[in-house]
Amino acid sequence: MIKIPPAVLSRVSKPARYTGHERNSVVKNPAEVDASFALAFPDVYEVGMSHLGLKILYHIINRRPDAAAERVYAPWPDMEAEMRSAGIPLHTLESFRPVAAFDVVGFTLQYELSYTNILNMLDLAGIPLKSADRGDDHPLVIAGGPCAFNAEPLADFIDFFVLGESEEAVDDVAAAVAEWKKAGKPGGRRGFLARAAAIAGVYVPAFYDAAYNADGTLSGVAASHPAAPPVVTKRVVADLEQAPYPTKPVLPFLEIVHDRIMLELFRGCTRGCRFCQAGVLYRPVRERKPETLLRLAQELVDNTGYSEISLTSLSSADYSCLKDIVSRLIDQFKDQGVSVSLPSLRIDSFSIELAQEVQKVRKSGLTFAPEAGTQRLRDVINKGVTEKDLEEAVGAAFRAGWSGVKLYFMIGLPTETDDDIRGIAALARRVLDIYREVNGKRGARVSVSVSSFVPKPHTPFQWYGQNDMAELERKQQLLKSLFKDRSISFSWHDAHVSFLEAVFARGDRRLGEVLLAAWRLGAKFDGWSEYFKFALWQDAFRETGVDPHFYAGRERSADEVLPWDHLSAGVDKAFLEREYRQALAAAPTADCRRGDCRVCGVCQGLGVDIIDWGVSS
Amino acid sequence: MNVKYRLAITKGEEVRYVSHLDYMRSIERAVRRTKLPAAYSEGFNPHMKIAFASALSVGVASEAEYMDLELTHDPGADAVGEALAPQLPPGIAILRLRQIPATGQPALMAVVNLAAYRISLPLTGGDAAMEALGRFNAAAAVPYVKENPKGKKEIDVKNYVSEIAADPGPDGLKLAVEVRITPTGSIKPAEVIKVLVEKFGLPADPDAALVTRTGLFVADGASRLTPLDI
Ligand code: SF4
Repeated sequence: MIKIPPAVLSRVSKPARYTGHERNSVVKNPAEVDASFALAFPDVYEVGMSHLGLKILYHIINRRPDAAAERVYAPWPDMEAEMRSAGIPLHTLESFRPVAAFDVVGFTLQYELSYTNILNMLDLAGIPLKSADRGDDHPLVIAGGPCAFNAEPLADFIDFFVLGESEEAVDDVAAAVAEWKKAGKPGGRRGFLARAAAIAGVYVPAFYDAAYNADGTLSGVAASHPAAPPVVTKRVVADLEQAPYPTKPVLPFLEIVHDRIMLELFRGCTRGCRFCQAGVLYRPVRERKPETLLRLAQELVDNTGYSEISLTSLSSADYSCLKDIVSRLIDQFKDQGVSVSLPSLRIDSFSIELAQEVQKVRKSGLTFAPEAGTQRLRDVINKGVTEKDLEEAVGAAFRAGWSGVKLYFMIGLPTETDDDIRGIAALARRVLDIYREVNGKRGARVSVSVSSFVPKPHTPFQWYGQNDMAELERKQQLLKSLFKDRSISFSWHDAHVSFLEAVFARGDRRLGEVLLAAWRLGAKFDGWSEYFKFALWQDAFRETGVDPHFYAGRERSADEVLPWDHLSAGVDKAFLEREYRQALAAAPTADCRRGDCRVCGVCQGLGVDIIDWGVSS
Repeated sequence: MNVKYRLAITKGEEVRYVSHLDYMRSIERAVRRTKLPAAYSEGFNPHMKIAFASALSVGVASEAEYMDLELTHDPGADAVGEALAPQLPPGIAILRLRQIPATGQPALMAVVNLAAYRISLPLTGGDAAMEALGRFNAAAAVPYVKENPKGKKEIDVKNYVSEIAADPGPDGLKLAVEVRITPTGSIKPAEVIKVLVEKFGLPADPDAALVTRTGLFVADGASRLTPLDI
């Protein structure tokens, strides 16, 4: 058991990140389990502890008598320096054992800019960074999460990936590890990987060879091992009603990012926004029953004592029985000082009504995401929101007493012109006018937050060449010059960050060397502006001779082999191509949830169905 | 009729590095888990009616924390203790509890005026330590500039700490420090150690000190009562 000296804990910021003992954490005797997992989130404690996916895996693994799951997060740089100088290896928060002593280290991949933290954590754990350098006694290093759907940039470092929803897959992996160990580790590490490759949804990159054309594009990523399927398809939970839910989550002492009960209403979203990766990866929509949600909420309140229940989903306002569940939750818990909150609002007056019901006092700010400034561009991205919808929603909000509105937009979308940029400014001004119309005086505060579009794999925009940094910055400046009114505040994202995200989002295996070089040069916590150093990444690209623009800014042709073509989210490439063409024609595609099936391929291919209680009841 | 309970609780090794705010929040959640009839403030954003005595710094443990908990009806002292004890996080235990008048009592924060601490210090030099403490105890005044984000303020340490008792042991020094809490301010144990190291040459690494609060009192001349005994 590792003991951190008091002098170290008194020097670092927020030492409670490192001291464990949280309620509901599960501490098992390592001698009594056959498969031990260190579940790793490659970011700081407060971020990692907020992630629902890891809570689910922790719960599923720990309910198995033969397995144990413990937690580990990236130490903040001050703690990392202390650990390195005192020779303290990366360890878990339950048993304080070194991560290197576990059977499996599992990373969740939520955003590309956390990749250097993965290398840094492996290094702190004393585990060889490259898969090929690990021996039979090193842990299996595995990964899952949305970024696993383009696993290639991490192919050198991760032994295997699990694609899609892991509720069932993690049980398969745990059972396989336990069995392999009990059998005396036949075939060693490679022997296990061959067993793993036979599990649905598992991708073992070492069993595939990447080949390239003369122009640098991929000619293919082909299976080179008999156990490896040519295409790995995601796992999906057919019915969430049957899926285990973590009603006894680890309760942090520190205030974490989402420090509240997370009640997942449903999974998936079929609105079909063409920029949205989650909308593809989590298809189809599957709702939980209101009765199930009420039961889960009761258990969660009983086991946590949290004072807030957040109704989480990709688009919570789309839950078919939302009004019903909100009022029943409020009723059930009002005497216990527990409130209900909605993390995302749809742009309509129904959402405002609900917002009124759930957050009676907090009139400070409502957030809407029109995403684009003109109707034409909203049609391109298939964001089914009109200016009238926004006017109605904002009007309803102002009438209900709100005065602050936050608007989210993207710049750099396909087909965008400066008129679309001006449209963002016009929309923000329109919101100010609506306040004056409603209240007869000025007084609204509008904050406009603009991010730069990053094309993502498995979306209709996966072929699109990202705007270069100079162009994104020009658009930011143009927009800035249009905001003269002091009631409008404007913030935007660093274009360098969006560029790097685009490189890694659609990169191939050759980026592994860049990642390694950047990490050696000191890159870590790239998602944190105080640690993000673009110059260092430029050095890494130069050193390795890799051209980042090849990945970010190049429009790919329809017949190009994409680095993720052998990894399937169940949605047909032909569907995405059709959607891209529709986008360029500014033609919308309707939601399949209640309308016609758009034959994206998920339901047919994976044998699943939309589950929508608003329709069937 | 609302009732109020005053509890003496601990902040053990497991939660030593938890901040005061986080410590309070974890107890509030524990109370909510008990389903005891906790009282809430009026208004749209209700707060649990729970109050703590003097705040503890991150890294400081305690054998004597006090909190007042208001309930909307009285389940009885035994029931309160039995419900709460199993819900408290590891390292937080109930030492004593009793009902106090629900109204007319000054806030816990306002009544305590003396805190006692035990400080364990690994030493880097033996006799020099006792000499340093002797010089501190003999000094008539010890000026010290307190710094915090709001600014600097010069204080006399002796206004808050008269004398420090020391007990040298095999693995370091154990200090017993009593700190007065006055309406105009006080001094933190970490600051006392800093003064001893920087101004009196105590041969120790301040970062390695382990501080534990051993008592919190309402002192008046010779009398010294805990918040549960007043
Ligand atoms: S297969 Fe049809 S119904 Fe199912 S998610 Fe795709 S478009 Fe929607």
